[in-house]
Amino acid sequence: MKPLNYAILKYFTTVDEASADDVMQALKEDYGHYKHFNKSSVVESLMTAVTNGLLEESRYELDENGEVRVYFRAHEEGKNTINKYIQD
Amino acid sequence: MVNKYSGSDMMEMSGNDTSSVEKKYLKLTSNYFKKGLGIATLSGIFYGLYTAFLTLGMSRGVWADWYGENTAMLSAFVITYMLAAIGAAINDLSSAVWATGIAAFKGKLIDVFRTVNTKPGYIMIFAALVGGPLATTAYVAGLQLAGAIIIPISALCPAIGAILSKFLFKQELNARMMLGIGICFAASFLIGWTSVDINNLDASKVVILGLFAGFLAALGWGLEGCIAGYGTSMIDYEVGITIRQVTSGIANLLVLVPIIALIAGNFALAGQLTTQAFTSGPAMVWFIASGFCALFAFSLWYKGNSMCGTALGMAANGTFSFWGPFFSWILLGVIMGIDGWGMPLIDWFAAIMMAFGIWVIAENPLDRFRKNSVPLGAPIIENEEE
Repeated sequence: MKPLNYAILKYFTTVDEASADDVMQALKEDYGHYKHFNKSSVVESLMTAVTNGLLEESRYELDENGEVRVYFRAHEEGKNTINKYIQD
Repeated sequence: MVNKYSGSDMMEMSGNDTSSVEKKYLKLTSNYFKKGLGIATLSGIFYGLYTAFLTLGMSRGVWADWYGENTAMLSAFVITYMLAAIGAAINDLSSAVWATGIAAFKGKLIDVFRTVNTKPGYIMIFAALVGGPLATTAYVAGLQLAGAIIIPISALCPAIGAILSKFLFKQELNARMMLGIGICFAASFLIGWTSVDINNLDASKVVILGLFAGFLAALGWGLEGCIAGYGTSMIDYEVGITIRQVTSGIANLLVLVPIIALIAGNFALAGQLTTQAFTSGPAMVWFIASGFCALFAFSLWYKGNSMCGTALGMAANGTFSFWGPFFSWILLGVIMGIDGWGMPLIDWFAAIMMAFGIWVIAENPLDRFRKNSVPLGAPIIENEEE
């Protein structure tokens, strides 16, 4: 099993776009027992990946609770970098 | 309606309540940016605290004798180089114990083991070696060869980190950011310059070699900040710092200290002095405190760099050149009553300069006075009617 942060980034090489909620849903089975597996940590990881050019934001909307939900995607260069550093 | 970043890729916004969702989005990005800036500044504060506790630890117990009466009859070479390396090793190992404990408590220890044997893990180890034993040795050697003049030279590290990040990781570095970095460098230079005795400056080969060593130290720390900051976008920062401190502590203790002992011509001295230092209770109390603060000094430095970019992160961390003398004055001068730990007026002036420099890197200060300015760190969104 990969470290949680690796799994979060790697997930984006398999989907077109995803929000933090989508990521958590996808990784819940393997990482749900982690103490730091929570939405704010996942959002922060995703935004940090954006700052460092691994991901980009694709769109945002309001969720059912009235909170902003941001969707992220890995562009081609980001996908290549993630796959180069994090192997399966 | 389409919303997009100015000058960057298009980002669509779904839903109808434009102003509400836009405001919330801008608030989210601004809060993230401010948090990163706060973390990077906090790293500078912890750097100042760790420096003060380390200085105090290296003046207590057996260290008081080594640096004072010297009944052990240590040579000037051993006192200068070996004691500095032992001090750094104990500090980093103390920090490694704190980091491992905190990672275990937070359930991240398993990720430490999973990360070490991966590419980003190797990169973190490389960063630790460059910024730990190599840069520290260059800094200490520079101090001995050229004197305090290398302190302001080492303040170049944020500028070096920002330039390296532009070329290695394509991070943004525009003219305004360069100006801000220049202001921060000038402020750190001013603080460092107060330690320089201009009457004793010369341009001998030894001094020039020392200046080069000081530049190498700045290069090492700049490289560490740039690489480890990027690494922290892949590795959790608490996992990263555990790898960093364990690597640096072990390399200092098992490689650097024995090498210096060999050069000093007495290999056995490495074990003897290290054992005496580790068993000196009055000193170890302060090393435990310095290791705790070093943990946050470095982990928050990495995290801050990864959250707001190397240029801004390293400039905010660079405030340690103010916080170092500040906490040394508070702890050693005010609390412990040791003479010689004052706070020159120029340091306060430099602190204001640094704050302004950081602001200039973060945004154009004039934007604050414009109508419809976005929150600090939020992207500019252009609305186009379709």
